[in-house]
Amino acid sequence: MSRMSRQPESSDTEILQGTLDMLILKVAALEPIHGYAIVQRLRQISGEALRIRQGSLYPALYRLENRGWLKAEWKTTEGGREAKFYSVTKAGRKQLDAERAGWKRLCEAISLVLETGE
Amino acid sequence: MKWSWPWSRRIWERRMDAEFQFHLESQAQDYVGQGMSREEAEQRARREFGGLELAKEECRDGQPLESLGQVLRDIRYAFRSLSRSPGFAAVAVVTLALGIGANTAIFSVLKRMVLDPPPYRQPERLVFVWLNNLTLKHFTLVSYGDFRDWQRAAHPFERIAALRFQDRNLTAPGTAEHLKGREISSGFFETLGVRLLLGREFTAEEDQEGGPPAAILSDAVWRDRFGGSGAAIGKPVTLDGVDYTVVGVLPAGFHFWSDSDVYTPAGRGDPLTLRDRSVHSFLCVARLRADVTLGQAQAEMSTIQQHIDEVYAAAERGQGIGMLRLQEQLAGDVRPTLLLLMAAVGLVLLIACANVANLLLARSAARGRELAIRAALGATRARIVRQLITESVLLAVAGGAAGLLIAFSSTRLVMAAMPANLLPTPSAGLSLPALFFAFGVSGLAGILFGLAPALRSSKIDLGASLKEGGRGSSAGQHRAQSTLVILQMALTLVLLAGAGLLFRTIRQLWELSPGFDARHVITFKVGLSPSATHTASGVRTAFRQLVERVRQIPGVEAADFTTLVPLSPADNAGPFWITAEPPRSLAEAPRALYQEVGPDYLRAMGIPLLEGRFFSKEDTAGAAPVVVVDSALARAYFPEKNPIGETIHIAHWGPGRIVGVIGHVSHYGLANPNPYTQNEIYISFDQILDEWVPAFYPALTLVVRTPLDMASMLPAIKAAVDQGGSDQPVYDVETLEEFVSGAMASRRFPLMLLVAFAGLALVLASVGIYGVISYSMAQRVREIGIRMALGARPGEIVRMALGEGVRLSGAGAGIGLAAALVIAPALSSFSNLLFGVRPIDPLTFGTVALVMVGAALLACYLPARRAARLDPLAVLRHE
Repeated sequence: MSRMSRQPESSDTEILQGTLDMLILKVAALEPIHGYAIVQRLRQISGEALRIRQGSLYPALYRLENRGWLKAEWKTTEGGREAKFYSVTKAGRKQLDAERAGWKRLCEAISLVLETGE
Repeated sequence: MKWSWPWSRRIWERRMDAEFQFHLESQAQDYVGQGMSREEAEQRARREFGGLELAKEECRDGQPLESLGQVLRDIRYAFRSLSRSPGFAAVAVVTLALGIGANTAIFSVLKRMVLDPPPYRQPERLVFVWLNNLTLKHFTLVSYGDFRDWQRAAHPFERIAALRFQDRNLTAPGTAEHLKGREISSGFFETLGVRLLLGREFTAEEDQEGGPPAAILSDAVWRDRFGGSGAAIGKPVTLDGVDYTVVGVLPAGFHFWSDSDVYTPAGRGDPLTLRDRSVHSFLCVARLRADVTLGQAQAEMSTIQQHIDEVYAAAERGQGIGMLRLQEQLAGDVRPTLLLLMAAVGLVLLIACANVANLLLARSAARGRELAIRAALGATRARIVRQLITESVLLAVAGGAAGLLIAFSSTRLVMAAMPANLLPTPSAGLSLPALFFAFGVSGLAGILFGLAPALRSSKIDLGASLKEGGRGSSAGQHRAQSTLVILQMALTLVLLAGAGLLFRTIRQLWELSPGFDARHVITFKVGLSPSATHTASGVRTAFRQLVERVRQIPGVEAADFTTLVPLSPADNAGPFWITAEPPRSLAEAPRALYQEVGPDYLRAMGIPLLEGRFFSKEDTAGAAPVVVVDSALARAYFPEKNPIGETIHIAHWGPGRIVGVIGHVSHYGLANPNPYTQNEIYISFDQILDEWVPAFYPALTLVVRTPLDMASMLPAIKAAVDQGGSDQPVYDVETLEEFVSGAMASRRFPLMLLVAFAGLALVLASVGIYGVISYSMAQRVREIGIRMALGARPGEIVRMALGEGVRLSGAGAGIGLAAALVIAPALSSFSNLLFGVRPIDPLTFGTVALVMVGAALLACYLPARRAARLDPLAVLRHE
């Protein structure tokens, strides 16, 4: 991370790594999806608020695949091209549930702190 | 789990590329849909994606089991990178190879000779048992009577066995040949725990006076005489005219104390030798009981020996027991020398390592820019560090492999250079642990030296490094290099000082006269025909005739025989006394070295006659017994009067009248500070008792003085021998000079190696200082350019560079001298190698310091001259 700090800061919200994993799992849980579509989908769902650095998407995908939370398959797209489609495994769903629960707890805790403070 | 081998990795890479490509194209397609031109769309897609290579790299790094492919890629890259600077790679590999090779060779020899247990069953329980002559403070061989008593009474031993050296002449089957023979007690091989290849050991029935003649052959003799056939058992071999039945064959490679060819039972040896308790000719080896310690055994044996003392006081009084573990005894002589060499060669390795570290440091500095660019292009820090370590490990492994080749060839060289009397075992190949040792050292060296520049590079400030044009100047780096060079110089000086001291020792030894004229003398032995050895007079006649025939050979100035060649490894010491009454015990009587010789021996050897006369042809068995003594005995026992005409008593012989005094001759080494006797007594071979002739004649050696060389003399000598019977082998042909140089071997051997190591160290240290000065000059190119532009002359630049060389080598020499002042006296007392030169020798130390500083300056001169030839304009413009 420190290496990047010398580059101009992006105005987009940088996403924490663990969070990115969770979002990827969530998006891939809906249907098998390729990398480019994941980027688009995240942007659409978040209303353009979340913009992920595309370069860091793929290492995350590979990492999740290696952990056995995603599985990948080469399939033909609607446009008739070969693309790598990711879908969530059983272990991946469990992980997603766990992360979602953790995220919820975190959000509640944070809002509790914020509201008490006012 | 998916396995990633290189080929499947290629597929994996292709798929990753396709995936990324798909992403970029989809993005570009979308932008085109939004109305951008294709070119613009592609550019924008790429820009938004960010570092493509970095992303790929991160994907690769996340792959499990991807390490093999990565390592291979790293190695490939390291190869490419090293092949771009072949000079650096070659110097580093050769440096490491020399250091590792020399270390592996010495370690192999050390391990085989000192660390490895002797190749017998449970060798830690095997001990040598000696008689300890308390008067002479000297361990001696054992009489047969003692051995038999010990065998009967010795409780601390599971078994005890004895061996006597008795060479043999084999005449059938095949041609006549001299064999190294041993007489052994029954149970000898059982004691060692060695199984015979064929047949059996001697039985108690064979191991006694008048027992049936039986023999055990070495593997070599068995193959040579019986073609390696199992049918050899039961066949006869003729030794010294007697037929012995072969009852056993030893396994190949069997070795005990020294090489040997044929074994016969001790009990049927010469009865005179066996019966006399003052004749000490047996080497005793025993196997301790499992529950007995060396100390307990020693105590019990001493009690037993005390009883023997009381019964046979005249022969035995004054003797204790000396006991040493087999390994300790066998390695005892070589251990200090080998440990010294190990330390020396370890220093060489240190110097080599310092050199490689220096090279890598300089290289990493020169590569600062390359590394900065790689980092800027997205290589992670871990990757750069891994890359640097891969490079140095590759260097180290290459150096280790090359070193192994050097070790293979030089181990043999070291063994060949090894003096025979230092060799407890006949061969030493490279051992497996030595191999691991080499690779361990090289691997460790690689990782260590890879780490230093790698750690340094991890601190690289990208911007600064790029701006500086890649020279990555740093005072810290220069200091590290200088320290390494000073260390190298100091270590080199210690080695040079050691080599210098030994060199001076050898020079002193050469100047030392052995007491005879060693030039132009050939010595050889003859195995007398069995027909000549039936009677004592037959032996005497045969030798007299042989000497006469040899004297007839044109070119022979003098020739005669002796039972003992000075400086040979043989020993023939015995008791004597000058009082009328014999001493209380023979063990307490003074010892002299005996030589039974012919009348022309003095002339043949070139020993000066000091008083009286030497033997003549009239000094025969019937005449009055006469002896000749050396100047050492005369001085010690007749300090006030002329010894001529005095009577001296000699054990096993009787009283004799001293008729002459001759010069003292060195026997136990050229500079042995404490041999147990310096006295020498000569007896005419014609006057020794008939009954002792069989025991003495096999030792007879002909000494021939001739200006002709060995090659032209040998055929004539063979012809002269053949005239007395063609079944008489000529053997042990040597020049007297070989005996003299052999006496220096134990010092010359470490000298040769030390000189080699010191030379190697000097070369390595010179390379090291060359590197540092080159680097420092390169760093100061700008400064030098300015100086020259301001009017500095080339000579001043050279002086500046040499000044730095003097500082570095001077500091190294100072530290090295200080270390040598401490180490040299310690080593000298530890290894007992020095002679005629004190361990702190100003001449030696001064000379080696000068040599080293001189070599260092020579190494500095090249980069200095290069710097002085710089074109100041070009330098400044380049900046």
